[in-house]
Amino acid sequence: MLTDRQPRSFLDPQSLARLAGVPLVARKPMVGGVSGRHASPHRGSSIEFAEYRKYVPGDDLRRLDWRAFGRSDRYYVKEYEADTNLRLCLVVDTSGSMAYGSAGTPKLDVARRIAGSLGYLAAQQGDAVGISCVADGVVQSLPPRRSPAHLRLVFDVLEAARPDGGTRLPEVLHEFAETIRQRALVVIVSDFFMPPSELESAFNHLRFRRHDVATFHLLDPQEVGFQFQRPTRFLDLEGKGAIFADPVDIADRYRRAVESYLAEVRRIVLASGIDHHRVLTTDDVEQSLARFLVGRASGQGARR
Amino acid sequence: MTFLQPWVLVGLPLVSLPLIVHLINQRRFQTVHWGAMMFLLSARALSRGYSRLRHWLIMLMRMLAVAAVILAVGRPLSRGWLALAAGGRPDTAIVILDRSPSMQARDRDAADTKLDTGRRQLAEAVATLGAAHTIVFTDPARPPLELDEPRALADLPSAGPSAAPADIPRLLQAAYDHIRASAAGASEVWICSDQRANDWAVEAGGWSSLREAFAALPQPVRFQLLAFSQPTAGNLAVRVTDARLERRATARDLLLSIVVSREDDGQPSASPVSVPVTIELGGATSTVELVVTGREAVLANHAIALGAEAEPRGHGRVSIPADTNAADNEFYFVFAEPAPRRTLVVADDEDGAHDAGASSSLELVAGIPPEKSAVATVDRVPAAAVATAAWEEAALVLWQAPLPTGDAAKLVEAFVNRGGQVVFFPPADPDGREFAGCRWTEWTTHPEPLAPETWRTDEDLLANTRAGAALPVGALAVTRSCGLAGEIVPLASLAGGGPLVARLATRRGGVYFCATTPAPRDSSLASEGIVLYSLVQRAIDRGLESLSPVRQLDAGAAAVVLDIEKAGWTRIAGAATVPVDEIGMQPAVYARAGRLVAVNRPVAEDTARILPADRVDGLFQGLSFTRQDGRAGGTDSLVQEIWRAFLIAMVLALIGEGLLCMPSRRSSRSAPDASPFGAAA
Repeated sequence: MLTDRQPRSFLDPQSLARLAGVPLVARKPMVGGVSGRHASPHRGSSIEFAEYRKYVPGDDLRRLDWRAFGRSDRYYVKEYEADTNLRLCLVVDTSGSMAYGSAGTPKLDVARRIAGSLGYLAAQQGDAVGISCVADGVVQSLPPRRSPAHLRLVFDVLEAARPDGGTRLPEVLHEFAETIRQRALVVIVSDFFMPPSELESAFNHLRFRRHDVATFHLLDPQEVGFQFQRPTRFLDLEGKGAIFADPVDIADRYRRAVESYLAEVRRIVLASGIDHHRVLTTDDVEQSLARFLVGRASGQGARR
Repeated sequence: MTFLQPWVLVGLPLVSLPLIVHLINQRRFQTVHWGAMMFLLSARALSRGYSRLRHWLIMLMRMLAVAAVILAVGRPLSRGWLALAAGGRPDTAIVILDRSPSMQARDRDAADTKLDTGRRQLAEAVATLGAAHTIVFTDPARPPLELDEPRALADLPSAGPSAAPADIPRLLQAAYDHIRASAAGASEVWICSDQRANDWAVEAGGWSSLREAFAALPQPVRFQLLAFSQPTAGNLAVRVTDARLERRATARDLLLSIVVSREDDGQPSASPVSVPVTIELGGATSTVELVVTGREAVLANHAIALGAEAEPRGHGRVSIPADTNAADNEFYFVFAEPAPRRTLVVADDEDGAHDAGASSSLELVAGIPPEKSAVATVDRVPAAAVATAAWEEAALVLWQAPLPTGDAAKLVEAFVNRGGQVVFFPPADPDGREFAGCRWTEWTTHPEPLAPETWRTDEDLLANTRAGAALPVGALAVTRSCGLAGEIVPLASLAGGGPLVARLATRRGGVYFCATTPAPRDSSLASEGIVLYSLVQRAIDRGLESLSPVRQLDAGAAAVVLDIEKAGWTRIAGAATVPVDEIGMQPAVYARAGRLVAVNRPVAEDTARILPADRVDGLFQGLSFTRQDGRAGGTDSLVQEIWRAFLIAMVLALIGEGLLCMPSRRSSRSAPDASPFGAAA
């Protein structure tokens, strides 16, 4: 189906083949343009019965339930659930801090693998895929489309993404909440190095707009454990200066600050109903994605 | 604090090693491109308080540990209260011991005397200091002792108790001379004393020059005073102030005057105490009970019948029961029949115009004995016939004639050297003759009679009476006076500055000059006879001392006298074993050729007050001086090596450093886990 034969460094065909066994499903009804494998808030032509409705002039007579008419002498129309396709909006943080990777793998590479894999899986099941790279603002953006050619463009954007600049992710998420016209699965891949209160506001905004929000929280083990030994000059990857510190002095407090931050993020995602996944750069991306897909598949069929 | 290895302190800058290591470590920083700056900023904001303090505390602990090691290797010494005197091991340790009787006091609950305690503590201290030379000064008249082993000081026989006072200024002068002569290096002078006023002679003028001399020494000299300045509680001292024979019709009586004094121990009132005074005389012992109510009790002229067959001279001992100071519980005395008060008046012409009754006045005052029982005789001799006079029996010569020359001068000098007294009065016509470098110049007639303006009231012939009253010297009127040339010491001076009574410096005996005569036309010496009488009778008393076969001598001074008179003295009472060089320093009675000498502690030892600490400290003003108060029987060491304390301090500092470096319980846990939640959200 896909025509992109160009090898992408962030795509592992074998891994994708294994992940393809688990469908990518939305946890909320999606509003798609075509028929697909995702639940829709509208009635449609699937085989899954939804409800009876009184006949009104203009209804297709073929959908009239004659058996119900025979029993009740009233005209009822039999309605079925509609299946539609998914609009997957990938939001990738390309701020300077995503360039960090103590084990040789920058967070941005992990983000590429996650976003690329999800984009591929979605496109393969006929969903529309779009991507936005975010740093100080929206660096590059492609709206969701279903065509395979568009997926190639998405991969191009991912490949061309470079970590640079500061982070204004909350503001951009607010903007997306308003500009994505229909319900969508919004997958945010970022290190979320920003005040949790700002994130909470942005997540709530997306949820209010009925988007299904999933986040991949990328962290480096060194950023969590802070295992430095020698006095170190820390240069900000986002260009906000430098800090000289003796790890012996501040490691304890650093870890305490990280713990506090992670606890706050945990509280926010629980309160907002966000599908949150914390991924270390040393983790196996395939396993993280499998956990993500299986978790969603287990909650398939959620409708409203 | 002093150090036995002070050169190790050169390494003290190593204390800054932890700081330097820290700074080097700071400069060896790595640069990391970092994303999670928000946590770093937060951690830095939190680390400003306690963490920074902990950081510096760790640094301080490390520096303390290094400092403690260096100081411990330097072998620090603690001196009593950690006297902060800089310096290290001295080249010469000089010990000045006050061996006076008051140093033999002990506390009621201690066995050791002040002297024993001081010797033991000094021996330990000097041994610990490890000086290259240890010199001991106990007596200024004797050469110092150099000890090979400082601990021998505790048992040194010649550093034992003495009845003589300690002349601290002279001992210090001897120490100064030794330091200069031996070109000693850094010296440490340890003085062990109980700060009695008579031993320290603070009124003497030599202290300031002594101080300046020590200060001018090129080598550093440190003074350490081990002061036993606590008064001895309940100490009584006995002394015989007078022992004389009085002849009765058929027998003789020994009249003893005994004083029992109580040491001033600072108590405002002392309860009366009854003291049995034991008198030993010729093998017989008798006891007299004396009640001491105040500071002293006096038993005056206590008569002891000796019988008709008794020797005309003898010796005895009085003692009181043992108390806190054994050195002042006994006193030896000697007695003899007093020699006749014989005076020679040398005058040429009784009826001459010049004499005008002067010589007869002298005969008169010399012929009246001060006591009824005494016998006074006066022989008048012309100057030309002095060779025929009974010089050997005379106590005093009153010479009113031209000064002696030739054989006459030799006679007078021999008389003076024997201990006789001579008072020269000016002749009618001074002819320029000299005696011992002195000569009469010429008569001066004063238009208005002159009164003596100043005179010595503290000693010699014109001193105040025993009751403290001054002689009426100022009431004299001098109309004519004769000038005097030579090296003399004025005892009384006229208003114009000329001497009225002067003394010549002599080793023994006394040579005096009176610049006027008792003649009415010259002065009122005869009419205001008290001064002339006192002067003559005192001179006779002094002269009699050389004639008397018995003498009471103070210890110390006795050593000089007995040495002068050389060998032949036999100890007939006193301690059984006295080293040869301690003769005259210990209480005893010596005899030689029918003469008796009793040696006892000086009277000042019983009455001297303890000098206040600031007064003694002031004597060492400008010098490196440290005082340490000792206590009789004290077992503390004056000097202790305290390197162990520094090692313990180092260990404590390292433990403190370890505790501070220990990670807190929170940080010892694993870093925040990345997988406790995620999919579940």
